[in-house]
Amino acid sequence: MVAIEDIRARAKELLESGKVRSVLGYRRGTASVLAEPAFVTAPEDTAALVLDATCVENLALYLVNEKKRQKTQRSQDTRPLAVVAKGCDGRAITVLLQENYIKRDEVVILGVSCENGGMIDTHKLSRALRGKAATGAAFDGNGGIKVAFTAGETTVPAAEVLAARCLECTKAYPLVSDYFFGDKIDERSYSPRFTAVSAIAEKSPEERSAFWAGHFERCIRCYACRAVCPMCYCDECVVDSTSFIVNPTTSADEKACRIRWIQRSASPSENAMYHMVRAIHLAGRCTDCGECERVCPVNIPLRLLNTMLEREALEMFEYAPGLDPEQPSLISSFRDGDPNDFIR
Amino acid sequence: MNKVPEAVETRNDKNEVQDFEPKVVAFLCKWCSSAGSDLAGVSRLQYPPNAVPIQVMCSGSVSPMYIMSAFNKGADGVLVSGCHPGDCHYLKGNFYARRRIYLVQKLLKFIGLEPERFRMSWVSAAEGVKYAEVVTDFVKDLKALGPQRKLKAKV
Repeated sequence: MVAIEDIRARAKELLESGKVRSVLGYRRGTASVLAEPAFVTAPEDTAALVLDATCVENLALYLVNEKKRQKTQRSQDTRPLAVVAKGCDGRAITVLLQENYIKRDEVVILGVSCENGGMIDTHKLSRALRGKAATGAAFDGNGGIKVAFTAGETTVPAAEVLAARCLECTKAYPLVSDYFFGDKIDERSYSPRFTAVSAIAEKSPEERSAFWAGHFERCIRCYACRAVCPMCYCDECVVDSTSFIVNPTTSADEKACRIRWIQRSASPSENAMYHMVRAIHLAGRCTDCGECERVCPVNIPLRLLNTMLEREALEMFEYAPGLDPEQPSLISSFRDGDPNDFIR
Repeated sequence: MNKVPEAVETRNDKNEVQDFEPKVVAFLCKWCSSAGSDLAGVSRLQYPPNAVPIQVMCSGSVSPMYIMSAFNKGADGVLVSGCHPGDCHYLKGNFYARRRIYLVQKLLKFIGLEPERFRMSWVSAAEGVKYAEVVTDFVKDLKALGPQRKLKAKV
């Protein structure tokens, strides 16, 4: 993995020179084995920054949150924000740049390469440890992850505990960055891309329908997937419709005629609608950071929906999200050679 | 106690299969397909009355949300129809539509909906016959598939 001292030194230098208002990175968490996101504002606190296999979160989310917070702030610190970005986070930032949600001079990207590593999946980890609570996880340097738990230590093969998206990742480093740490490794020895998606796509329509019905039925509409997604930055989500203001003068007719695309109740059909709408809104934007699936309290395989559309975009339109902030987005562009034979 | 509603339901189901008339929501672009459907009408072409036309300004203005919402509200099939490539009144709206609709179609298929339930067609203002054909074929296929229940909201 990347030498953390370099990142700390760079973060310290950026803060001391006053070039950035804070550095967004990871530090040791208190709750679980996972590192927690940290806003570091004092140069001496940069010593707390860490980078290892437990830094799973996508920090691009906090750029978005910070942007939203700033809108309501009276006095503004307009200096940029430095952010530690892995490959998937870096692509997410690139998409945000592409959509002009954040400007290039508002962010200093400290790109880090995952090299031959990746991030752990806590579900897989606890399965590998048979329920024991892990307290630390780090790569041992030859294809294994050294996992510490309260009563000892063990080494498990990396492929067994790495997150599914890391196993399928092909660009484990950000393409757009101001400072870069680590080696750019393109060939990784894990599973091929889109394995899970192909497995579902090969099933019969009835099986797929039953598969998704079973998953959508469990959804409790907590919107954790939406809250954790750096691409879900709309001020008003279609499921909330908060801009419809009901006051004493609102007539019954107006209330009745208001468009409800999706009901808020957690019924299977509405859940299916919600997840489909979310998937289509993320088409060509999702950079497969896998956060939605990770935070889902009822374990709905949400990544499948997004990677399915990612695969279609790649195969049919040769479009991969987050590689170049200058390229037009997937659905705001077209080519003459787009598929036409499905149309009568 | 439980048997009675069950029996009622099966009877309803049988009735539904026997005289099932599919509901088709057709999003027709104002400049071509809508005029095409008008032409089918004034030419007195016979085609099933199952399609409910909704005029939109351009096939490119059909949001994926309209399509999913139509299924959610009980449509058995959704048709999106626009001008032929190159003929768009807004020059490139139907090219955007083509790409977007392709993704929606793949998503609906992935979720497990029968792919035949969602269609797109190019119908120009002069193609009244083609419009009648498209709707006739669509309704015929939908009758074979039966009612759409997978995405329909349970009331």
